[in-house]
Amino acid sequence: MIVEFIHLKEVVKEFKKTKILKNVNLTIQRGEILGIIGQSGSGKTTLLNLIAGFIEPTEGNVEYFSKIDHQPKEMHKNLHKIKRHIGFTPQHASFYPKLTVKENLLHFGRLYGLKKALLIDNAKSLLEFTNLHGHQNKLAEHLSGGMQKRLDLSCSLIHKPKLLILDEPTADLDHITQGEILELIQEVNKQGVTVVIASHHLNNLERICDKIAIIHKGELKSFGAVEDVRKPYLKNNICINIKVGKDKDKMIAMAKKLPVSKIVDQGHQIVLHPLEDEKALLALIRAVKEENLYLHDIDLRKPSLNEVMGNIVDEEERK
Amino acid sequence: MSSLWLLTKKNLKLLLRSKSSALIVVFAPLLIILILGLSFSNSSQYGINIGVHASSFNADVNSFMETLQEEEFKVIKYESSIEDCIEDIKLSYVHTCISLPESFQIEGNAKKEITFYIDPSKINLVWMVQETLRTKLNLKSEEVSKALAGNILTKLVDTNTKIGTEKDKLSTIKGKTGSALSSAEAAKTDLSGLDFTVPVTVYNLSVTEAFKTQVSANINTGITKLDAASSAINGANLSSSEKSAIKKHLTLAKSELANASARLTVDSEGSFIAVSNLINTLETDLTATKGKLTSASEKVTGTTDNLGNIQSSLSEGMSSLDTVLTSLNEIKANLDAQKVTEAGVISNPITTKIENVIPAQSYLSYMFPALIVLVIMFSSLLLGTTLVMMEKNSPSFVRNYFVPVKKVTFILSTYLTNLILMIVQIVIILGISLIFLKELYMTIPQTVLILFLAASVFTFLGMALGYLFVSEETAVLASISLGSVFLFFSGLILPLESVSVLLREVTFFNPFVLAEKLVREVSLFQTSLSLIWMDLLILLGYAIVMFLVILIIESLLHKQLVTKFMRHHHHKHRQKQKIDGKKH
Repeated sequence: MIVEFIHLKEVVKEFKKTKILKNVNLTIQRGEILGIIGQSGSGKTTLLNLIAGFIEPTEGNVEYFSKIDHQPKEMHKNLHKIKRHIGFTPQHASFYPKLTVKENLLHFGRLYGLKKALLIDNAKSLLEFTNLHGHQNKLAEHLSGGMQKRLDLSCSLIHKPKLLILDEPTADLDHITQGEILELIQEVNKQGVTVVIASHHLNNLERICDKIAIIHKGELKSFGAVEDVRKPYLKNNICINIKVGKDKDKMIAMAKKLPVSKIVDQGHQIVLHPLEDEKALLALIRAVKEENLYLHDIDLRKPSLNEVMGNIVDEEERK
Repeated sequence: MSSLWLLTKKNLKLLLRSKSSALIVVFAPLLIILILGLSFSNSSQYGINIGVHASSFNADVNSFMETLQEEEFKVIKYESSIEDCIEDIKLSYVHTCISLPESFQIEGNAKKEITFYIDPSKINLVWMVQETLRTKLNLKSEEVSKALAGNILTKLVDTNTKIGTEKDKLSTIKGKTGSALSSAEAAKTDLSGLDFTVPVTVYNLSVTEAFKTQVSANINTGITKLDAASSAINGANLSSSEKSAIKKHLTLAKSELANASARLTVDSEGSFIAVSNLINTLETDLTATKGKLTSASEKVTGTTDNLGNIQSSLSEGMSSLDTVLTSLNEIKANLDAQKVTEAGVISNPITTKIENVIPAQSYLSYMFPALIVLVIMFSSLLLGTTLVMMEKNSPSFVRNYFVPVKKVTFILSTYLTNLILMIVQIVIILGISLIFLKELYMTIPQTVLILFLAASVFTFLGMALGYLFVSEETAVLASISLGSVFLFFSGLILPLESVSVLLREVTFFNPFVLAEKLVREVSLFQTSLSLIWMDLLILLGYAIVMFLVILIIESLLHKQLVTKFMRHHHHKHRQKQKIDGKKH
């Protein structure tokens, strides 16, 4: 059963007469994971802050359905009531570095008014859940980046919120830690917590999100299930991924001569967006042979969210 | 309430775990008060170095230097020139230089000049040095004045004595002159009483001739009669014997008449001629006497006139003597009326005597109120600012926005944290102070109450600055500046008497001044709180007003601060992303 949880209606947000968000309509269902993606400065964090009730919209409404049958309430006007149901994890660490892991959890738990027994229980299970049990007496500032992120997440979950809002939860983390954090988020979601994540690690979001909202220059360009978002961009958007070795620069120079619309240097690989798949692939193989370059790996795949995002940006720029 | 205590506990933990904060904010003031306690717990003179220059270091100069040394000043001799001493002032080796005259003996009307050289830039010392040395020099000056006044007084006393003596002589002269005047008066009266009137009768000497003639005629008649009688007797019927007896007597009478007639005509002794001659002689003598009397009368008149002159001269003399005597009496009365006869009193009629209204104590006792309030002020201001900035800059600032705790609880927790630390500090400071200032023991509760109010005011001020400023550095600087302003306008560094009247009146409301005044009154004079309730009320009022101001600032700025905080982190994150992107 699909149950509305938060509803954004024609939301406009202005800062100093600049429209950061333009007529955003969005519905967050209970129990889902919503990923908000967009370029830097696109308005992701602003949208997240609106959902958290931290800022109020200039125009439109952000509504919150406290209970299934209840009438929606305006988020920022009822924030004092809703706060107990929200867990917010900003981009940066948001705990006290000079308190231990356990102290941080107990401190925030008490501020949420949890009874001692429940608090200890919650803290214990969170410490185990986030694998911080062995570090509970360490000062938070002495934790590694991944552990700090897990502590942050724990602090947001200590009061068992209904809505968990995460701003760039995997930023500055290595791939393994990113994976661990994503797993944690999925686990949290499985426990019934609605999760809203803003991240620029689109591949990560692709993995865990039920829905994606793509924001570009303050406009909601696409919103829906990941496949639904990707669908309009599938046609003519098969990518050629080339894993390159030491000849990357030569490969890029060579690729520029091929019939491709776009070349994306992703560091460990080059992604080509061919104008015509077959012709481009043949020309590539021919050129590799002629130039005597070493091709480590090559494959054709569907465009990732990253590339979908790229396409949206391109389309906007062409307009 | 539990949230308040929870937040307070957290603040304390954070503050104590942050080594630098704990050191600076918590332990530094305690260390300061301990050092100050050890430094100023004495009552000896300030360690002032004085350079003395004189053209020759004779007994007078050395005596003056000894006076300074007795006062525990360190005296340094500059024999060559005063310039060396002035150079040493500039290098801070000495605090002041004194150029002394060769001698302090006053001769003639020439004054002796003593020149001070001071460094006015050392304003904290200048007044003290000037004042202390002026006192010493005044003593020396007083000594010289005393000698001079003594000399004058001795001469005045001598004059008085001589006036006393001479006044008696003048009185004697006056007495004698009075007597002379009386004598002259009497003489004049006597002389005036003399009658030198000459009878103006004209003596007709022909009377004597007529008398002679008449008497002669009468005698002749008598003789005739006698003859007739004798004849008649003869014819009378008488016995012869009887007739003879009568005739005998008649004959005798006739003889006698004949003798009388002879006396009128014969110049002999007892004769009429002799009498006439005598009368003529008498007349001559009378005329001569009359002339002499006239002459004497004239002389007496002249003498009387002279006596009148003498009398008026003597009167004038008497009057002059009276005037002189009156003047002398006045002079003497004036001299006698000069009650101040002590040279010391004349040379220094008003002596300044400074009586302590409290028993003499160590410098720390006097400095204690200012010191403790100073420590409390800076600690509270800095701690208030630091705690607010610590919260504002804490990574959990955003998370705190989402916790269901009222913002006023956060403010109160900051205040409570500060207060707990301040109470700890007050307890330790007072504890340490009791080692040096035992007399404080009686006034501890009142002192603690005042310090508690002062700490509240300064904490709220520090917190307000914390909320108003963005960076910790500027907020701390603002706190220090505010504390310095309070300190500067408290009269502790510079005398408030040098500032304008308006500003002086305003400074009375300076919380530092108020708190310091209250602590001084309570700790030094044991003033009852009921007498200083107004000042306590002002302090309390400040605390309440500042708390309300913080509430307003917080309600206006909090959301803005959180937004700014998030935006700041967002930008940082974005920049990091860009850098990472470029690297890849």
